[in-house]
Amino acid sequence: MGTLDYTARIEFEANAQDNGLAQMVAGLILQNLQEHPSKREDFARLRGRIAIVAEDAEVAMTLDFTGNMLTVHNGIAGIPDVTVRAGSDDIVQMSLLELIPRLGLPNLLAQNARAIVQKTQNGQVRVYGALLHMPMLLRLTRLLSVN
Amino acid sequence: MAHLFPSETWAAAYQSAVNNNPRYKVAGKDWTHGKVALIVKADASIGIERDMAILLDVDAGVCHGATYTTADAARESAAFAVEGPYDNWKKLIIENLDPIKSLMQGKLKLTKGHLPTMIRYVESSKQLLSSAQDIATEFRR
Repeated sequence: MGTLDYTARIEFEANAQDNGLAQMVAGLILQNLQEHPSKREDFARLRGRIAIVAEDAEVAMTLDFTGNMLTVHNGIAGIPDVTVRAGSDDIVQMSLLELIPRLGLPNLLAQNARAIVQKTQNGQVRVYGALLHMPMLLRLTRLLSVN
Repeated sequence: MAHLFPSETWAAAYQSAVNNNPRYKVAGKDWTHGKVALIVKADASIGIERDMAILLDVDAGVCHGATYTTADAARESAAFAVEGPYDNWKKLIIENLDPIKSLMQGKLKLTKGHLPTMIRYVESSKQLLSSAQDIATEFRR
């Protein structure tokens, strides 16, 4: 993959600049793209809208991926393909999920993955559209992972 | 005796509070990523004439020093800087708010530092900031 200026490929809608969640998530994606070439293919292939809602913080954002470009919106913008609703702690824990090397899938045996799964089962973490858009969700997980 | 926030004596008390927090000792034991600056934005109405900082020299679960200094000096020597207005820091200390939630709400901003590293040490960040609750603090307003 050639050299791409990833800073220029992540745009903030004007009203997203003051959204701390948007800054954190987009900042994480940008740093991961710059430091981990293995994540760039996921970014190139991602197309669709993913909304993330930190319910306890009462803040939401939408990531609009259009293949090697990302527009970050304040709040829920448009009709997302996937919506993740969780506490702020759990959103952070999702970025800490261990990935199985070479497969790039979350290691569901790891402690924090088991905790996330349990919270998904009891409704503390809700992911709408996951079944229809599983590849999108997995790509986002890899893009956000700090591991 | 209560310590004025922020000030040199408050910084010294903070160092003791961090080192007396057993949960920080555990959560921060793998932190070797440099100093952390907690920056309070200027607010002339309460006598903070310029951006000021509490600069924490934390390493492997121990706080080796806490200095009250100008934000410019702190930003130069810190690997991580978190900034916010006085009222948001006050609220965080009094209510033991989750610093990550505060970042998500835009009440505090990470203005320097590697975000993925900070996220990896989220528990360490929480314990570092919750140590401030153990200080007898006098607030300026």
